[in-house]
Amino acid sequence: MTDRLGWIDRRRLVQLLGAGGGAIAAGLPAQVFAQARKNTLVLGIDISDTITLDPARLAQYTSPMTVSAAYDSLVTMKPGEYINVAPSLATKWARTPDGKGWRFTLRDGVKFSTGNVMTVEDVKWSFDRVINLGDQPSQYIAHVDRVEIVDKSTIDIILKQPAEPLLTIIAAPEFVVLERKVAEANGATAAKDAKTADKAAAWINSNSCGTGAYRIAAWERNQQIQLVRNEHYWGGKPPFERIVIRHISDGAAQLLAVRRGDIDAAFNLIPEQIAALKTEPNVRLAPLASLDFVYMALTQEPEFNKALAVKEARQAIGYAIDYDGIVKSMLGGAALRPAHYLPIGVSGSTEEIARQIGFKQDLAKAKELLAKAGFPNGFEFEIIYGNAAVQGVTYQDLGLKIQSDVARVGIKANLRPVDQVNLRTEYTTGKAKGGVLTFWNPPAVENQLWAAAVVQRVAKRVHWDPPENIVKLVSQAATETDAKKQHDLWVEWQKLVVDQANHFVLFQPVYQIAVRNTIKDFPLTAAGWMLDLHGVTPAGG
Amino acid sequence: MPRYILSRLALAFVMALLATLVIFLLANTVPGDPVLAQLGDLAASNKEFVAEWRAKWGLDLPLWQRYVIFLQRLFQGDLGISISSQRPVLQDIRDFAPATLELASIAFLLALAVGIPLGIMAAVRRDSWIDHLARLISLIGVSSPTFWLAFIMLAFFYGGLQIAPGPGRIDAIALPPPSVTGLYLIDSALAGDWATFHDAAAHLILPSIVLAAATLGLITRTTRASMLESMQQDYVRVARAKGIRERRIVIGHILPNALIPVVTLGGLAYANLLTGAVLTETIFSWPGLGRYTFRSAVSLDFPAIMGITLIVAVVYLIINLLIDISYALLDPRVVR
Amino acid sequence: MSVADATVPSAREIAPVASKTRRWLRRYGLPALGAAVIVAWIIVAIAAPLLSPYSPATVDVTARLRPPSSLHWLGTDVLGRDVFTRLIYGARISLTTGIVVVLVGAIIGTLIGGIAAFARGRVEELIMRLTDLVLCFPPIILAMAIAAALGIGTTNTIIAMLVVWWPKFARLARSLVLVQRSQEYVEAAVVMGLSPARILLRHVMPNSIGPLIVLVTLDVGNAIITFAGLSFLGLGVIPPTPEWGSMVSEGRELIEQWWVAAFPGFAILTVVLGFNFLGDGIRDWLDPRSRRR
Repeated sequence: MTDRLGWIDRRRLVQLLGAGGGAIAAGLPAQVFAQARKNTLVLGIDISDTITLDPARLAQYTSPMTVSAAYDSLVTMKPGEYINVAPSLATKWARTPDGKGWRFTLRDGVKFSTGNVMTVEDVKWSFDRVINLGDQPSQYIAHVDRVEIVDKSTIDIILKQPAEPLLTIIAAPEFVVLERKVAEANGATAAKDAKTADKAAAWINSNSCGTGAYRIAAWERNQQIQLVRNEHYWGGKPPFERIVIRHISDGAAQLLAVRRGDIDAAFNLIPEQIAALKTEPNVRLAPLASLDFVYMALTQEPEFNKALAVKEARQAIGYAIDYDGIVKSMLGGAALRPAHYLPIGVSGSTEEIARQIGFKQDLAKAKELLAKAGFPNGFEFEIIYGNAAVQGVTYQDLGLKIQSDVARVGIKANLRPVDQVNLRTEYTTGKAKGGVLTFWNPPAVENQLWAAAVVQRVAKRVHWDPPENIVKLVSQAATETDAKKQHDLWVEWQKLVVDQANHFVLFQPVYQIAVRNTIKDFPLTAAGWMLDLHGVTPAGG
Repeated sequence: MPRYILSRLALAFVMALLATLVIFLLANTVPGDPVLAQLGDLAASNKEFVAEWRAKWGLDLPLWQRYVIFLQRLFQGDLGISISSQRPVLQDIRDFAPATLELASIAFLLALAVGIPLGIMAAVRRDSWIDHLARLISLIGVSSPTFWLAFIMLAFFYGGLQIAPGPGRIDAIALPPPSVTGLYLIDSALAGDWATFHDAAAHLILPSIVLAAATLGLITRTTRASMLESMQQDYVRVARAKGIRERRIVIGHILPNALIPVVTLGGLAYANLLTGAVLTETIFSWPGLGRYTFRSAVSLDFPAIMGITLIVAVVYLIINLLIDISYALLDPRVVR
Repeated sequence: MSVADATVPSAREIAPVASKTRRWLRRYGLPALGAAVIVAWIIVAIAAPLLSPYSPATVDVTARLRPPSSLHWLGTDVLGRDVFTRLIYGARISLTTGIVVVLVGAIIGTLIGGIAAFARGRVEELIMRLTDLVLCFPPIILAMAIAAALGIGTTNTIIAMLVVWWPKFARLARSLVLVQRSQEYVEAAVVMGLSPARILLRHVMPNSIGPLIVLVTLDVGNAIITFAGLSFLGLGVIPPTPEWGSMVSEGRELIEQWWVAAFPGFAILTVVLGFNFLGDGIRDWLDPRSRRR
């Protein structure tokens, strides 16, 4: 199209470097352009859901990746290890002497991107802001009573219910440390009236004041987010001068761009596009075994559906679904399937356990259960779903697949497509009259968050009144300190809720990210922020 | 005339407000709660939290009060905050409108540039092969579903032959020119960035052809019919009898009269292009008003829906007004 | 043509068959082709179960996205359903919805327009402003809003389309009736004391039906495209009902598996083209000016 200079043509480079850099770049030789492109990491991803980059207001799916590159939390999670947290801004932690909370020892000499040293006040202020802003992240630490400074490198987080988990939750990018001085200078406040007094949203959406490896330099909505290297990063010099997160909504365009080398990684490819990349020598596929899952919730309210009120009838649906067909054919094998709400990879959930205790297709058993339930000739029920797709598979296709599966045992599923608003309204307010096909992506990696949901709010939505022993089992498992015992308790719990047959997990996606071989390390993580941006490195120095 | 225009403008404004009222009432019959779709699972189950968020957008107020607030804000030039993007609707529209404006205008110009000459030739050479060709082209144009035509174009020229650029306004990795008008062609030309100009123009080719198809058919047919009609007029016969050359008769006498209905229809077609590009935009990942409208409608984003309805209605009514004015200018008999 | 032909009958007899055929084709070729296409689609729609060994709803994920072959003439879609089967069953929905929307829309619109023209005064003003109001929404936006409010489904989509469909018929009917009203025979009928309804139905309507028929025929194609467009956006039919617009939508990202989207779209093109050929022919035929050949 235009004169190509090594990696990238002049125009693109000018654009990558921004207007100011462009003027300089215009007079430089070709090798320099190649070098500049090499020092820039470009990701192609659909970021249309990113509506805020304020950690304390974070709620969407793609924004945590950016935020986790610019800010650090006290503890973090390493890719693949989602049971025990790892040190980050805190180097040590233990229960407080009175057992009512946790005590953290801060890392020495951590500097913000401004070069100022992080203090214990910054930490307390950041937590206070989350709590007092009262936005969605505050919900996840609702059990935190207060944050107390012990000395200049020690801080306590005191809990209202001391047994409730904390570490795995605050590893999420919502609970990061901001530089108080800079944030306050730009309108932020952590005071009690932060809800109305905090005016930092505009600034914090296109800048950052954290300790992370990169600093947010610009965010142009539905176009790109630009990050630049934090020269003061405590974890060593970050390998890229600049990171550009390009918004490309279209999978086909991402495919083309990653093939041409315009982007270094493509995040939103559908199975057919991934298959097209298998023969591409310069691009590899990096699997991201997420902790998300797609499931069908089934009500048991007799007023809505007499058949679904009978446990055996619901179980019949569970035994009629062809899970292998969904995972192997529709997703091309790029997925796992847990037994219930605990995704594969967390305590008590492995593929082996899922095989043993989860549902599997068994049409004879389904028919037997139907007869036992008193519906030997089957029954009718409704499935609602929204207009969306996970990993290139639409809910509609899943609904059609389930419809044809249950038809084989005489059950008639009526599909009802609805918009996202009605779907959420019907489901969360318990008005769904049959099945609901939807998605679960937890804000933090903590079994208790999932399990408690099943017996509390999600139970209400399906009109299930969980017996005391199942509810107790959740808190028992969550507070158990012995790893082996905890594992067994979670397995036990899953058995009970699988038998209850209110939720059928259909698949847990293993997203396939196309990465160019010019990139060496590409640490994808299931912990909630998709990619440890600070750990991405270029190939060959 | 000025008085006529003023009264028409006032009427247009009232109609546009009525349109927002209709949409407002209609959207409120949907049982869903837009806030729930924006909140995470935990927050959506917390009654107090949901109530607080509803209050943030005034969703807890009675219907009439909400509409009055909308009107009050409107007169201050404020369309409110979008629920799903959480920023001013006006800013959203300002971001998305230029993409649609650029695409629709290019498509319209394309339809005119091809449709009018084709229609003229079809009328002058009536029943010749060119007349039949024109008829076939225009019928196929009118009969092709845009979303399918878009797919075929992309699959063939982008996927198959790989000679056309893919979806989007510019190359996936390129950045738009510094924004002045928001129209990439103009902005890149102003910045002297001809590579981007070239890129943006290339990306316009397929979607504008797709969008122009139906309009092209309409323009060709109307031009032809209206030319034939004018050719039957007495003054044309007189001119012929005087021995004026056919070419001069067509261009000097027939065409000006024949263009009046084309102006009317063309104006309406342009309004339709501006407001009805949802399908083309969807397939070409075109970040325009059509997709924004669709997204707002399915997420029940009240402020956004109202804002778009208002703007679309105003555009439509103003174009209608312009048609009437130009009609009066072209044809002195219509003066009121 | 008619005058010349009548006076010189011999010329007609001598004319070779080929030229006669050519003349017939020139005059009736496209409309006849259009009618043939429509009839063919109607037959296909009715005889769909006889034409395909498959059921349109059979899901077989192990046979997904197979290219066209002797087993699956037009290939299979993402769920392994036979595209050809879904295509021929899809004709049922598209033809029915298109015809229903236009006919009902035309009847409602014509009645309202007729009333406006006869009532004059305030009623007419009110009705015409109402049509203005509906016309100033882009049809697809209003239909989308209504479909969202009523819920997704064939009947609801038809209702949504009807809301935006009647005004153009109302406007046409009003202008036609106004023209007829000023004719002498109507004035005579009024003087004779015939009731307005009787005048409208017995005298005015029959004389202005021509342009209405043209608009109706041309508009069926338009309605089919609009319905398919709404379906494409996910606001049309409830799955697993086979429908052309939603079939295109299901295949729109599959550029390499082009058959999933290409064939149903082509089906829309053919049937709409059929109605446009036919409507175009009827217009030429009814329009006195273009009859003078």
